[in-house]
Amino acid sequence: MKIVVCVKQVPATHDVSIDPETKRLIREGVAAEINPFDYYAIEQGVRMREQHGGEVIVLTMGPPQAADAVREAIACETDRGILLSDRAFAGSDTWATSYALACAIRQIGGVDLVLCGKQAVDGDTAQVGPGIAAHLDWPQVTYVSSVSLVNVGCLNVRRMYEDGYELVEVHLPAVLTVVKEINTPRVPTLTGRIASLKADVPVLGPSDIAADAGLLGLNGSPTRVVKTNPPPPRAAKSVRLEGPSRDVAKRIVYEMRMLSLI
Amino acid sequence: MSINEHIEHKIFHVELQTPKQNVKTLPELQENLDQFARKYTTLLDQGHCVCITDNPMGLLSFQGTEVIKELGLPCPAGQVSVHLNTFHTPADLQRIIDDCLKLGIGNLLIISGDGSDRLPKLQPQDVAADEAASVTSVELIRHIRQRWNGQFELGVAFNPYEPFDHEMEKMRRKIDAGAQFIVTQPILGRHEMLDKLLKLVDMPVVVEAWMSKKLHLLSLCVGYEIPEDTVHNPMDTLKQLVQNYPGCGLYLSMLGYKTQLPHLRKVWN
Repeated sequence: MKIVVCVKQVPATHDVSIDPETKRLIREGVAAEINPFDYYAIEQGVRMREQHGGEVIVLTMGPPQAADAVREAIACETDRGILLSDRAFAGSDTWATSYALACAIRQIGGVDLVLCGKQAVDGDTAQVGPGIAAHLDWPQVTYVSSVSLVNVGCLNVRRMYEDGYELVEVHLPAVLTVVKEINTPRVPTLTGRIASLKADVPVLGPSDIAADAGLLGLNGSPTRVVKTNPPPPRAAKSVRLEGPSRDVAKRIVYEMRMLSLI
Repeated sequence: MSINEHIEHKIFHVELQTPKQNVKTLPELQENLDQFARKYTTLLDQGHCVCITDNPMGLLSFQGTEVIKELGLPCPAGQVSVHLNTFHTPADLQRIIDDCLKLGIGNLLIISGDGSDRLPKLQPQDVAADEAASVTSVELIRHIRQRWNGQFELGVAFNPYEPFDHEMEKMRRKIDAGAQFIVTQPILGRHEMLDKLLKLVDMPVVVEAWMSKKLHLLSLCVGYEIPEDTVHNPMDTLKQLVQNYPGCGLYLSMLGYKTQLPHLRKVWN
């Protein structure tokens, strides 16, 4: 089974700023990490390879430093990774991003399954996984909390929704986005880390993945961020309790009981 | 060699952290591993017990037994101790225990640990403690005692900076679960809670000595702000501990390998 796991490098801090012109996050100079939800997708891909054989390829799009995200995934025992990086990709919204990733997946060839994390914690759109499926014209299942192979070419997946779960049978190739309940991601070992630092991470541009330049970047993005506003400050009510600590503790317990918090 | 024998033979426990995982290049990783190996073998050569930490303060580090195996480092009987916290997958826990058994590491310090977003946490069902709300060092000790009974000497932590009643209640649970020795948080000269503990427990106690001059780094540990310019002579403090707690072992954290290690034998011999 050939599995592609799409990951994203996101700011490792909440202290980020927005470019006033493009309304996009300024990522240069900001410490970055793998999107936390993507670790679950990585782990799922590796587990499926361990169970059924095959190959797990990690794929990401971003500036050159996004190669670190690929290496982190290799440290978590994916087989290899690819970075899409070029000025042509810059400023892509989720549609243009998913188009580029879909082109890369076509270029890899013979892919059976694409795994993505539920959403990226910086954009929070949860759109790239479904976008990839749309571009590839593959079935998709989102919010997947468990996967089992029925037979070659068919999966049973359990999908979360507000009121519970539904069991879905999906034929491959397909795209799944996964939630935290699906597994517990492994911590890289020393062996894995050494492999990741030795790995060659090819960097591909639009021509390497046969992408139409007009469908990339800001020009290829049908959505525009026209304005960003910080959320309004929470109108939290606070009460300061003073007095002997024993009395204060009793009062806190009382107040929490009144709020049905305990 | 048991902890009692360490104390009898005046063998220092010296804390050694494995390299952190946040390395960017292979040469940097190699240098960090080489430095670890140098410190490790130096400590063994000088007859000390190496105590290897487990993702201290939740900072993702390489696992101790894996590093020992990868570097082919020796594990003389009784000279290596491994910290083990509750932030592992069940598979990793099994692997660490298996490695300890194969390497002949018989001494484990079991702590709840400081987690992080990246570190998985053992669940109650993973350690046959379904009735517990979460896994602490108590559940982990009990699990190891039941599963690998008699194969390890198990230690636990004692924090004199927590309310005494609470800390002693936790200690009672740890002892009931199978704790066989105690390692304290850093003690500066003397601490009345440690004095009380020594009267209440009948097992070896190893007292931690803070060997860094930067005493202010202990502010979080002790629960009050220590000014950054506080003057602290670690070797003097160590001598006080030797004098004040003659029946206890000594655990050295933040040891200076160039300035302090050569002089340890003069302090405790």
